[in-house]
Amino acid sequence: MSDLANPPTAAPPSTLRNLVLPILIAIVIFAVVPAVLTSFGRGYFWQIANIALIFVLLAASLHVVTGVAGLLHLGHAAFYGVGAYTAGLLASEQGMPFLVTIPAAAIVTAAIAFLVALPTMRLVSIYFAVATLAIGQMIYLVLLNWVSFTHGPNGVLIFSGLEVFGIDLSSPIATYFLVAVIVSASIVLIHRISHSYYGNALRSLREDDQCADAMGVRTARLKMEAFVISAAFAGIAGALWAHTTGYISPSDFDFAESILILAMVVVGGLGSLPGAVIGALLLILLPEVLRDVGDVRNIMVGIVMFLSILLLPKGLFGEVSALSMIRRQFGDAWRRDENGKGIGWR
Amino acid sequence: MIDPYYLQQLVIGLSLGMTYALMAIGFTLIFGVLNVVNFAHGEVYTIGAFASLVLITAVAPPFVAVVVFALAIGALAGFSLERIAFKPFRRFTDEASLKSRAMREATLLSSLAVSIIAREAIELLFGSQQQAVPFEYLINQPIHLGPVIIVTGDLIIFGISALMLIGLQFLLTRTHVGLSIRAVSNNPLGARYVGINVDRTIIMTFVIGGMMGAAAGILVGLYYGVIFPAMGFIPGVKAFVAMVMGGLSSIPGAVICAIILGLSESVAVTFISSGWADMVAYGFLIVTLIFFPQGLFGARRERV
Amino acid sequence: MTRLKTTALIGALAALVATGAHAQDPIKIGYQLPLTGDTAQYGQGFRNAAQMQLEKFNASGKIPVPVEIVYEDSRSDAKEGVTIARKFVDDPAIVAVLGDFTSTVSMAAAQVYRQAGMPQLSQTASHPDYTKISEYQFRNITTQDQEGPYNADWFTELGYKKVAVIAEQTDWGQSVVDGFSERFKEDGGEIVFSEFFNRGLKDFRSVITKIERAQPDAIYTGFFYEDGANFLRQARQLGVETPIFSTSAAYNPALIDLAGEAANGMKLTVTFLPTSDDPNVKAFVDEYTERYGEAPGQFPAQAYDAVGIMLDAVAKTYPDTTRETMRDALAETKDYPGVTGVTTFDENREPAKELAKAEVKDGEFVALP
Repeated sequence: MSDLANPPTAAPPSTLRNLVLPILIAIVIFAVVPAVLTSFGRGYFWQIANIALIFVLLAASLHVVTGVAGLLHLGHAAFYGVGAYTAGLLASEQGMPFLVTIPAAAIVTAAIAFLVALPTMRLVSIYFAVATLAIGQMIYLVLLNWVSFTHGPNGVLIFSGLEVFGIDLSSPIATYFLVAVIVSASIVLIHRISHSYYGNALRSLREDDQCADAMGVRTARLKMEAFVISAAFAGIAGALWAHTTGYISPSDFDFAESILILAMVVVGGLGSLPGAVIGALLLILLPEVLRDVGDVRNIMVGIVMFLSILLLPKGLFGEVSALSMIRRQFGDAWRRDENGKGIGWR
Repeated sequence: MIDPYYLQQLVIGLSLGMTYALMAIGFTLIFGVLNVVNFAHGEVYTIGAFASLVLITAVAPPFVAVVVFALAIGALAGFSLERIAFKPFRRFTDEASLKSRAMREATLLSSLAVSIIAREAIELLFGSQQQAVPFEYLINQPIHLGPVIIVTGDLIIFGISALMLIGLQFLLTRTHVGLSIRAVSNNPLGARYVGINVDRTIIMTFVIGGMMGAAAGILVGLYYGVIFPAMGFIPGVKAFVAMVMGGLSSIPGAVICAIILGLSESVAVTFISSGWADMVAYGFLIVTLIFFPQGLFGARRERV
Repeated sequence: MTRLKTTALIGALAALVATGAHAQDPIKIGYQLPLTGDTAQYGQGFRNAAQMQLEKFNASGKIPVPVEIVYEDSRSDAKEGVTIARKFVDDPAIVAVLGDFTSTVSMAAAQVYRQAGMPQLSQTASHPDYTKISEYQFRNITTQDQEGPYNADWFTELGYKKVAVIAEQTDWGQSVVDGFSERFKEDGGEIVFSEFFNRGLKDFRSVITKIERAQPDAIYTGFFYEDGANFLRQARQLGVETPIFSTSAAYNPALIDLAGEAANGMKLTVTFLPTSDDPNVKAFVDEYTERYGEAPGQFPAQAYDAVGIMLDAVAKTYPDTTRETMRDALAETKDYPGVTGVTTFDENREPAKELAKAEVKDGEFVALP
């Protein structure tokens, strides 16, 4: 990999302090949220929590391509759909258990992403965006029209439920823990990928791909890798959706869904993983909170999205804006670590 | 001698392509200047159609008045769109901000948010169903030309898009406004340095683009008799495809590609099922991007 | 005292929550339907019709407590549908659910209702597998398994040998083509053209030209009124003389508003005809038209009956109205005299309806003998 720059996070050897935040987050996910939800005692909240977690994973996976590598991706929902269909078809027609279908969904989705990436990954900026739009729509049309294989608009019914080692996990609380474990593990992986030398190489694509190319970063290959990794995680999210819902059909994976996922990443802040997570939570929970407002709630969602872009142009937790703000505030001081060595800016 | 069946399909494709072209003109104009996709263009199209429909049902004016009204509404919609969704994101004018991808994506997303708000608002006002259009305004009287059938709307749409195209070319190449639009499109910072009012130029572009979009909306709406809140989405995507195929900044290129798109879709229906025919547009797009990196009529922009 | 139970679903977290309801507490029925989004017009029609039926029932005093319907907007989005399903299941006062509009959303939600043991009655879900999900799923719409063969026989009767079939690319459209083609081929006819179009297609001219090249004796279509109006207008524009037939889903007065003269001559099957002499139908059409300013189509009528069947089940089970007894009462529904004909659920919880033939003449739906 490239020795382009030192990582901006420049993680010192792991100290206890660095473990505080992850542990806190884990406590929230695995103890606080379940405790609160149990006290409400309603399946409805568990359902929302599951959907929110699945979309957190989707937003985080899109974050790899759009946030870190800076490639606008307008067809992400299609890969989500490929994952859902892989898991759904394997479970309903081959009777495969949950533990097989999840990795299978990741692998098949990654393979398809690899195939479509081969010819298109040399494209940059808006051309890349348009290509992903076309790819997404084509996959959607295949799901819809290839009736003999995908059952077309009839969708796929999955009855097998969630079973791991013979234990039935289809009660809402068990489902929540299962989804939470898989999503958290995926997020940790995505975090490791995006906050590493590898992640920095991807950032170099976002900041200046020509320059990165000139410095020996293999841009086309990196883009392809980011694209495939992102698709694999979207595939996992799709498999989770298929298993938790029990019925999938092509309309769950259309262009509007891609835009929704993109909006999550942008509202939360491009380039920031916490931003993507928060964005996903916001855009899933907001419409539910506004359910009582009735007919105007979608307008409200649009307005919230608009205001967040307007007032926080780089998102709630935008890495880009946060760093540039610090640079303005602290000037050169930011460039040095404790040994007086230049960290460099990116 | 060509089978009249194919002749008929070609004629249908041609008219389909013209309806895409109407939309693509305004779309390309705005993209050329700001280098950002205006997601709300489809809603300008819808607003044009709905506003004109309200006028038609209220006072039943002559056809020409409807088109003029749509142009006025479009100008207003374009202007407000620019003020609401684009202007707030141009508050920084240093070079870094102008080139910043995050800033461009912010306008992309803000136009998307505005389009959601506009569409939902129209839906609240009129309901999501297809609106009934008074039959006497429909421009679909069949005309028999030998073995093929065209309708009055084909001639009207052809005439108006030709007029728009010529007018736009005249505006862009022969007038002062056009010159400044081209300058901003080429290099906004440079344009500012030579004393062009970039802000006003961008507004002009949106006003012109909005007029084109709204006129397209009501013409296509009357052509098919189909007016409903989500009507702007599909033509928006097709116009987007045509624009990219045409090389992004070339308006005649976009028009020609829109017509190619329409033709190939209608001919494709002969060979594959109509459900799959939508693939044609996207397939074309991918092939163009891979094999003609400059677009079929491309300007000098780097994309690979 | 009514004792309402939620079942296994909540299982692990709260075991069985049991709530004693006071005698004055209303009995609640959930209704999930699209009130916003692309299909909002259908959902609003459902709500209008449901409200009429509900008010009639509450005024009749059949049971001492009022019945309430809780409406939730699903936008025809499976995500929202499943969430709403959980919400309904959570509320112990809700004893049964109506909806959703599309089969996709109905089926995604049905998985929740299956686990929770909540009876679900959809007024429109026509997916062949919908009622197979569990014994809790009911529908009040004729499936194409019934309508397709009926129409195929009609075609054979009229002497058509070569027929073109076109339907929208949805689960329902698939069943339209399958249901019809099977019987028509058995009857010795020939399907010369069979295709699907993506819903919301605006330009049918290419397809119509292609159909005409196959030279069918008649065209059998599966579309809803909006696509239908566009299809008919463009067929007329292209000078198509071939007779066009459709299913009961195309029945909607708005079809004629949108298609105008082009609709004349289209033949279709109907389960509900507002011009019928039946006093039930007359009363419904008059009141609906008066309240909402437009004549009801097939779908509001369908919802009106679904709510009626549901309320009958409530009346039958009261005071012991639980999800279980509601399911059994629904399953026993027999000869319900609705505006869409007499309804009886068979052992697969499918309605058997009487079908009638109709034609559009001079801008009006007219019953055919």
